[in-house]
Amino acid sequence: MLQIEGLTAGYSAIPVLNGVSIKVEQGQFVAIVGPNGAGKTTLFKTISGIVRPSAGTITFEGTDLLSIHPARRPHLGIAHVPEGRQVFPSLTVMENLEMGAMTEAGHRDWKRNIERIFEWLPVLAERRDQFAGTLSGGQQQMLAVGRGLASSPKLLMLDEPSMGLAPTVADFIFERLIEIRRQSKLTILLVEQRVAEALESADHGYVLEAGRVALEGNNETLRADDRVRKAYLGM
Amino acid sequence: MTAALEGFLQALTAGLLIGAVYGLMCVGLGLIFGVMRVINFAQGDFMMLGMYSAFYFFTALGVQATFGNAIGPFVAILLAGPVLAVFGYAVHLALISRVSGTRTTSLEGEGHYAQLILTLGIALILQNGGLIVFGSVLASIRTPLSSSAWELGPLFHDVSVFVNKARGIDAVVSLVTMILLTLLITRSRLGKSLRAAADNPTAATYMGIDVDRAHRVAFALGTGITAIAGGLLATNYPFHPFVGVEYVIVMYAGVVLGGMGSIIGAFWGGMTIGLVQQMSTLVLPTQLQNAAIFAVFLLIIFFRPQGFFGRMVERT
Repeated sequence: MLQIEGLTAGYSAIPVLNGVSIKVEQGQFVAIVGPNGAGKTTLFKTISGIVRPSAGTITFEGTDLLSIHPARRPHLGIAHVPEGRQVFPSLTVMENLEMGAMTEAGHRDWKRNIERIFEWLPVLAERRDQFAGTLSGGQQQMLAVGRGLASSPKLLMLDEPSMGLAPTVADFIFERLIEIRRQSKLTILLVEQRVAEALESADHGYVLEAGRVALEGNNETLRADDRVRKAYLGM
Repeated sequence: MTAALEGFLQALTAGLLIGAVYGLMCVGLGLIFGVMRVINFAQGDFMMLGMYSAFYFFTALGVQATFGNAIGPFVAILLAGPVLAVFGYAVHLALISRVSGTRTTSLEGEGHYAQLILTLGIALILQNGGLIVFGSVLASIRTPLSSSAWELGPLFHDVSVFVNKARGIDAVVSLVTMILLTLLITRSRLGKSLRAAADNPTAATYMGIDVDRAHRVAFALGTGITAIAGGLLATNYPFHPFVGVEYVIVMYAGVVLGGMGSIIGAFWGGMTIGLVQQMSTLVLPTQLQNAAIFAVFLLIIFFRPQGFFGRMVERT
């Protein structure tokens, strides 16, 4: 579904990503883990078009993504739930979800989507008329996920959904994501620093270090790998 | 005593009427600043073009002949709005978009330096171009309405208030325009996407909103709104190609008073300025009107630096 080949990108002249290749199959749950500054967020920003790569290709369902205007990419079915949530603070919860549904598919499926989103994340229904800026961190994260789902995506990209949240809240969000995935069969690309949780729920994983793919494999191979166990799982 | 009360009520009425139009004028600028964060020094000159468009629609293009002296000016003014909106759209497409929006998010100061120079340049070109094209003779959209009044009252003790007919209709047109704009911004998909683009341009792009296009729409709307306000002012105040300079400072004062980024705030900021300007004539010579505006402006900013509707919290 999503195929990234030899991607090199960065800010100014310093490359953050250095020849990264990643593949996501239809229906797969792929996790990208790695330390701070490994280039995980830059990878997502490049897929969304906020960062322009200096080399490499990104193909989404056979289309050359790099030739498509960043604002058109969500309409192809790519939802980006950004790092740090980035909800629209002066819009209400409901209006934030409506912004998710700005895509053609999201607009068409709005009724069905909003019902499911409220079922999965009931706190959003309770707070529908509240300004998003007044929500707690965990609620904002749920709103960001709901907003992504409202676009009727084929691929849901989640950038560190646990960032800055209390461990119990992060656990709850992970549990919700697994439930959403179980019911919706969505393809998910997850970037996460909570390596143990990410590798546990994902089918396939990549370890990104200093802008390169250091390691890849299915979740069992990765969790059994000595380097992963030492560096990330603390075993 | 009665005379003093009458004078007070008269100034209050005049303040409310002119304040409604100032409010709309400020809203045009507030919309552009609120959505795009672009400081537009040419806004006063866009308003000048709005005044001349209304003027030519009324006199040369047959609106006066078709609709007469009562409805004619307002038809001409409402035509000037869309014309200037198209003008604003084109100016954004050709010039402003080069120094604002997604192109400049990575630049130092987000392109604000270039924006200041560019909009000042546009202002100078419009002022001097206006001088060449329109000439330096004062123009106005005065009709018999501008010099007749409705008498409200006598309210009590033979105190009555006179409402200049043109100014009364100006205020009503201004309020209706403001209400329609508010509905557009708060209720429509377009309005919500403009607010989303203002809140967080990057996240708006992730939603599939073309932020540069949203900016263009906001710039066009803001230009059109200010043009309508300009046309309304022109029913009472004569104007010339450099008239924008006189008003742009009032516009900025109104937008800052209301709270940078708040559209409804810009309206109340403009209203406050209109009220202060008219009420100050009760105690000060007319020449000091603008001094009074800025004395009050400084006082309000001293006690409430974020403006009436501004947010103190940093955007998340």
